[in-house]
Amino acid sequence: MIEVKHISKDFVSPKKYPGLKGAIKGLFSNEKVVKKAVDDISFTIKDGEIVGYIGSNGAGKSTTIKMMTGILAPTDGECLVNSINPSKQRKENAQNIGVVFGQRTQLWWDLPLSESFTILKEIYNVSDEDYKERMEFLNNVLELSEFFDRPVRTLSLGQRMRADLGAALLHNPKVLYLDEPTIGLDLVVKDNIRKAIKEINEKYQTTVILTTHDIGDIEELCSRIIIIDEGKKIYDGSLEALKDTYGTKRKVSMEVKKPEKLKNLDLAGKLGVSLKDCEMEFDKENNLLSVTFDKHKLQVPQVMNAVMDVTEVKDIQIQETELAEIVKEIYNHGLADEAV
Amino acid sequence: MTKKLRIYIPFASNELKRQLAYKGAFYLFIFISLFGAFIQYFLWMAIYGSTDNASLGGLTQNEMIVYVFMVYVTSSMVMITISDWVSEDVVKGMVAMNLIKPIDYRASLISRAMGQAVYRFLVPGVFIWIGLEIYKVKVLGMSVTSITNILLYLVSCIMSFLICVLFDFCFGMVAFFTTYIFGMLMAKEALMSFLTGQLIPLSFFPGIVQKVFDFLPFSSMVYTPVMIYLGKYSGSELYFVLGRQLVWVVILYVLGSIIWKQVTKRLVVLGG
Amino acid sequence: MIKTAKRYLRLYKVLIAQFFKVILQSKVDFLMGLLGFFFTQFMGIAFLYLVFQQIPSLKGWTLEQLIFIYGFAQIPRGIDHLFTDNIWMVAWRIVINGEFDRYMLRPMNVFFQVISEKLQPDALGELLVGSILVISSLVKGIVVVDFEHGLLFVVSVFAGALIYTSIKLFFASLAFWVKISGPFLQVAYEMADFAKYPTEIYAKAIRFIITWIIPFAFVAYLPASYFLGVGGFLGMNSNAVVIGIECIIAIVFWIVAYAVFHKGTMIYESAGN
Repeated sequence: MIEVKHISKDFVSPKKYPGLKGAIKGLFSNEKVVKKAVDDISFTIKDGEIVGYIGSNGAGKSTTIKMMTGILAPTDGECLVNSINPSKQRKENAQNIGVVFGQRTQLWWDLPLSESFTILKEIYNVSDEDYKERMEFLNNVLELSEFFDRPVRTLSLGQRMRADLGAALLHNPKVLYLDEPTIGLDLVVKDNIRKAIKEINEKYQTTVILTTHDIGDIEELCSRIIIIDEGKKIYDGSLEALKDTYGTKRKVSMEVKKPEKLKNLDLAGKLGVSLKDCEMEFDKENNLLSVTFDKHKLQVPQVMNAVMDVTEVKDIQIQETELAEIVKEIYNHGLADEAV
Repeated sequence: MTKKLRIYIPFASNELKRQLAYKGAFYLFIFISLFGAFIQYFLWMAIYGSTDNASLGGLTQNEMIVYVFMVYVTSSMVMITISDWVSEDVVKGMVAMNLIKPIDYRASLISRAMGQAVYRFLVPGVFIWIGLEIYKVKVLGMSVTSITNILLYLVSCIMSFLICVLFDFCFGMVAFFTTYIFGMLMAKEALMSFLTGQLIPLSFFPGIVQKVFDFLPFSSMVYTPVMIYLGKYSGSELYFVLGRQLVWVVILYVLGSIIWKQVTKRLVVLGG
Repeated sequence: MIKTAKRYLRLYKVLIAQFFKVILQSKVDFLMGLLGFFFTQFMGIAFLYLVFQQIPSLKGWTLEQLIFIYGFAQIPRGIDHLFTDNIWMVAWRIVINGEFDRYMLRPMNVFFQVISEKLQPDALGELLVGSILVISSLVKGIVVVDFEHGLLFVVSVFAGALIYTSIKLFFASLAFWVKISGPFLQVAYEMADFAKYPTEIYAKAIRFIITWIIPFAFVAYLPASYFLGVGGFLGMNSNAVVIGIECIIAIVFWIVAYAVFHKGTMIYESAGN
């Protein structure tokens, strides 16, 4: 179990000034800027859960992960991973966790992958039998053997990610932290990585915490998501609940023949719903009318008919709101009070 | 012409900004680079203290003090290492990138080096220079260096800068043929500190060796301007050493162009 | 305890074996580096040689003696350089760009991880020059040879290397506070050049600094003069006490440097902010 209790992290940095004059000014200045990267976040994660930890760039995702893994010590609050405090008992914690940073490899750049694994075996004190068993499993899931003898620097991004994932799992950690594990990968590789994560989670009950910008990762893997923004937690709950609450909008776009006829059209009034549940938007250049409405209150044909009563429609597009849109919306408006 | 040159100004001013941006390095650079000069100073004081001769290698103790610090001022100003920029650019594949831009790669490097030279002249060069002049007059009882000598010294320094940078450009091109330039840089620096007269005045070398040095570009890099500053040359000798510097500028410029042509040919072939 | 030590040793062996493989793959680079350092040292000797063409002795020191001091100074320096070169990367790069994360994520001592990452083959150039000069001094018979001096020679070399490591670690650790501490480290490290010559040639303040503040005199000149059986330190005449003080300094500096490093890992901020 992972318990994060009122954790905060401040970063202090010297103030910078722009330009050549600024550079000279900076030489003699001593001003400091404090940035609250993580601001009083709490949550609990049960064993075997897969949790998506999401937020925009600079929201504090990585900082939280770094505190949970023991890289950073929190400014305030405390974090316990299976009752170990990562910043105080770094080595004990490290033995029990696996970490993959998508943007940076933990492997030895110039060494063949096989040698990296030999070294990791020693670092994590894995016995010969365990090593054999683990490698067999990892080979099955991640297919490492095809590039096992090549230096890490020669691997493709997808191969490197598989290798990194394998390396993080060699010592059978109870908790696996993945920081953007599918960044920059193509669809097929993404799919493989997701499958592998799922399989590992099911077989070993490994707790997985992953940060990502890829909504696909979340939809495929996570039963629960935590959203943070500007260092604060703004949503914590199941994916379904989030979709139910915020994913009720539907959008129909219609290319119309006589846009001038739309001027006096009051769609919401005509259909008997409030303006909030049926918004119109018009793109003059393409003669494109977009109607966004609540799918529980209105049906697509109703909306279409109402428009076609007024003018002829040349083309129609129907869009379901995707999680990406929901998340974007949450970032934009900040739903702190409603969601938490 | 001015328009053509103007595109290189950002290279120089950016380098100057980059140097100023990092506070710690700014102050500490002064400090570190002075170590060598002070070690030399004390060593020479001890050396002159161990002999009855008034002058060693043609220099009196006081002249040696001026020599040590002016070598420091001069070399920190003119000996800008551009070869590690070149090797950095090679590693990053930036040279090929530079080929497609409408600028001359060598000119951009030299402009950047100029930015650094200006910075080095401001800190700490000029302060040490002034400090040295005050020390000379107040403590050593020597007279202030004449305006003529200072002007001649500055002219010589400009040519020294060009010789150094043009030479280093040729050297940096070696980066295309080796992946490991660090060892070569060290060897080069060690050798140059000797051949340019940074470590010890060239007049300390045996006669034959000095003759050989006359045919190498290194003595024109540091030794020549400093000896001019000390007023050791006069008349035709003065014109000769300045002329020799000019000849080296031309030779190294042409040599660099030739090497660059070869390298770019190779670059195009290899697609690097 | 022994088990842990064995594990660390086993790991170090694996890493060193890797290192030799890398060297063998790039022989030219290795030789270039070696040559570079060799050259640098050689120039120092050539300088002394040229100077001694003009004077018979330097404040009572002969050319042979100075060459021994110069050569002896290279050995502890080379040992430290060989094993702990990666400390420089902490000062310049690893902290500011967040690469230090990976050391924090592994269940092993962080300092061990830092130094075991890299052996520096260039250091063999220093060790080679140092050994050649020391051996030639032995042949010339200017060095005291007996059991005491032989034993203390070994002790002094290792204590000296530890002083080097401690000074490097201390200044590199400042990177946890200032992000890049390379320039500080450079200043401290270059102070070592002062101790290649008899320190009595310097002004009092400089002598004090390199004896007691950044004590490179105890790495090079002071022990070397003990092995030469000459020179007086604090009125003592080539006394073994010098080596004793060197050891104490080594231990104290190591404890301080390691404490600062450890404190630094506690406040490490990683990258990306």
